[in-house]
Amino acid sequence: MEMAGTKSRLTWAVNLTVGFLVLLWIIPTFGLLVSSFRDRDAISTSGWWTALSASEQNAIVRADAPDSAKPDGDAWVITGNVSEGEGGQITAFGITSREPVAFAPGEVATHKRGQQITVEANGDYRITYPEKPSGSRGQRLFVRAEAPPSFTLDNYREVLFAEGMGKALLNTLTVTIPATIIPILVAAFAAYALAWMEMPGRALLIAGVVGLLVVPLQVAFIPLLKLHNNIGIGKGYLGIWLAHTGFGLPLAVFLLRNYMVGLPGEIIESARVDGASDFAIFRKIILPLSFPALASFAIFQFLWVWNDLLVAKVFLGTGEDQAVMTGRIVDLLGSRGGDWEILAASAFVSIAVPIAVFFSLQRYLVRGLLAGSVKGG
Amino acid sequence: MKLGFYASAAAMALTAGLTAGTAQADGHLKFAPGEGAFSWDSYESLKAQELSGQKVTIIGPWLGPDKELVESVIAYFEEATGAEVEYSGSDSFEQQIVIDTEAGSAPNIAVFPQPGLAADLAAKGLLSPLPDGTADWLRENYAAGDSWVDLGTFEGPDGNDALYGFFYKVDVKSLVWYVPENFEDAGYDVPETMEDLKALSDQIVQDGEVPWCIGLGSGGATGWPATDWVEDMMLRINTPEEYDAWVSNELPFDDPKVIAAIEEFGAFARNDDYVSGGAGAVATTDFRDSPQGLFASPPQCYMHRQASFIPTFFPDGTEVGLDADFFYFPAYAEKDLGKPVLGAGTVWGITKDSEAAQAFMDFLKTPIAHEVWMAQRGFLTPHTGVNTEVYTDPTVAKMNDILLNADTFRFDGSDLMPGAIGAGVFWTGMVDYAGGKDAGEVASSIQSTWDSIK
Repeated sequence: MEMAGTKSRLTWAVNLTVGFLVLLWIIPTFGLLVSSFRDRDAISTSGWWTALSASEQNAIVRADAPDSAKPDGDAWVITGNVSEGEGGQITAFGITSREPVAFAPGEVATHKRGQQITVEANGDYRITYPEKPSGSRGQRLFVRAEAPPSFTLDNYREVLFAEGMGKALLNTLTVTIPATIIPILVAAFAAYALAWMEMPGRALLIAGVVGLLVVPLQVAFIPLLKLHNNIGIGKGYLGIWLAHTGFGLPLAVFLLRNYMVGLPGEIIESARVDGASDFAIFRKIILPLSFPALASFAIFQFLWVWNDLLVAKVFLGTGEDQAVMTGRIVDLLGSRGGDWEILAASAFVSIAVPIAVFFSLQRYLVRGLLAGSVKGG
Repeated sequence: MKLGFYASAAAMALTAGLTAGTAQADGHLKFAPGEGAFSWDSYESLKAQELSGQKVTIIGPWLGPDKELVESVIAYFEEATGAEVEYSGSDSFEQQIVIDTEAGSAPNIAVFPQPGLAADLAAKGLLSPLPDGTADWLRENYAAGDSWVDLGTFEGPDGNDALYGFFYKVDVKSLVWYVPENFEDAGYDVPETMEDLKALSDQIVQDGEVPWCIGLGSGGATGWPATDWVEDMMLRINTPEEYDAWVSNELPFDDPKVIAAIEEFGAFARNDDYVSGGAGAVATTDFRDSPQGLFASPPQCYMHRQASFIPTFFPDGTEVGLDADFFYFPAYAEKDLGKPVLGAGTVWGITKDSEAAQAFMDFLKTPIAHEVWMAQRGFLTPHTGVNTEVYTDPTVAKMNDILLNADTFRFDGSDLMPGAIGAGVFWTGMVDYAGGKDAGEVASSIQSTWDSIK
């Protein structure tokens, strides 16, 4: 054992490991953040790490339609710019898909149909047809360009201003706040009883609660919804509050009970001697002392309910008016769910409220995380 | 397959984008009654029913733009009858419909992306049989009506067969997508036969290029694109009867005929020279990303076999028919099996019977219910009474031609197999196969799973 106050020689190893783990967790999040500012085509064609620096990219650009050619002497000419003024330097160009970078900027390429094509380094192109061309599809131009990093706010715009997003946010809050408070209330009473009130079968009850922790909530969907339908609750806010309360209670009771059992018994004993009732002890001693555990469970439950989609779909209903934020986001992803850019942006939008909650309660979280696990300290 | 609804989205000209169908939100009709080539008399006759105050709830797999399309059709029913219809889409439709029907809070009508799930619910007594006469109506008004009746007929809780499912909206899967201008630049022609297709693939390899983009990745459903390949190959080397026997497992999965079909798929997917990124990339490439190679510069591949919905995943601004096009995944000239076409469709069933729900199912029989969606995008129908002039999208009309020219039409086999096979070991087995496992081994392990669930 090291003496208290002396530094272990392995500190650097600990620091390295911690640094590595932090990096491991932050890199994917950072990648997601970068992706949320990129458009769909960019995401599907290149990795997010390439987005941060300028890169050489091959692109296919369609010139203006042959119909728009203007006479110039005895030839017909179309002019324009491949990047419409926003791209970088052109380093090579081509006129067929087989040889997309065959020509240097400024060189003249001759198409097999006779037209002569040239692309300048600044992106200006000029196509000269010997005879009046026709057709509404422009010539394909293949260019290699130095592309500067390009980011867009469109994804966030689409998520934030999607139709029904405001209503969905309200729905989510309506679900989340009671679904966080109700289990805390119930669990705090239960935890006190299980920790400090002598009764027969208490150990069995605690074992039962611990056992319930491992029951996957999915198995309860059909019977619970059936029950709700039979007793007339049906689908609605009351139903989902009750469902979330039920699903959250085992962990809440377990966590709070373990914390409360570690509180010094002398205080409670002396309060009893002074004639305090159980309720008074609970309210005046236990609750204030258990605040770290209450807060940390509140964070858990809030995050879980906030991010939940499945329970909401089952117990709240699938209609437009009942959609929670997660449901609305899934809607934005479309039937086939391929829109990563929307997913990335909405992840950061929907994380905002939980992050605010976390930072306002986080000093309790660390203390609360240890709830019950460290005894006698 | 579970993700049958991938196929149900169908070809979209992306330039039409999200703008199509948005006009629906405020309840106005997409096309003014009385105008255009629509069968308005079928709309007028709907007005005979008075359903004011009645409500129909529908749950289906369509979200986003697809949801707007289906709602634009529903609006005509609401306008004509006065009933209120609430459609809601779910990305977890398969789970949701089971929970809701079992727990007794079922919607009136469910739109199943695959018939297998509907059959399960029918067997549990959670679907109501369609009214008498629907089967006769289908036989008279749907092309190949008998096969649609068969596909929608399931065994009920009493063990008797009855018609439970009504097919509305069909998709074609036997398509190969390509970029016409790339073909033109390289001097390639669209192949007419499977022999030509293989010769073209070899030609492309000889030219130092890569012919195919294949991607099987799809999250939890990884492998399903390969099942479509194998089904298409089944129809190209075996008779339709043998295909049917395979789907019902009268022909075992490890029969040499089936293994031959799997190996036909392997001839493409397991050939390093044929596939962009090499054979090892097939199982790990997401199917949504795999068509991107067609549009790269220089092209990473020249062809991509996928159902009619795939243009959704083409780069923004791609115009189907111009920037990208498709041809029929051809059949062997020497095998004399005609031109088989693989397809899929969505099946509608009544999960909670009511007068308005029945009226809505009747509405799906009217030409107008088909024409409104046809006139927008991505809708194929076997209904013979519709006016095909309303197709505004030439590519969809071209798909309908493929459907009409087909000598054989067969439904996506994995959708018809039991879930544990068609949405389970068939997927994972194909991933194993693409990864290098022997076709016979894969087939016999699928068969042994099938034996175990019988």
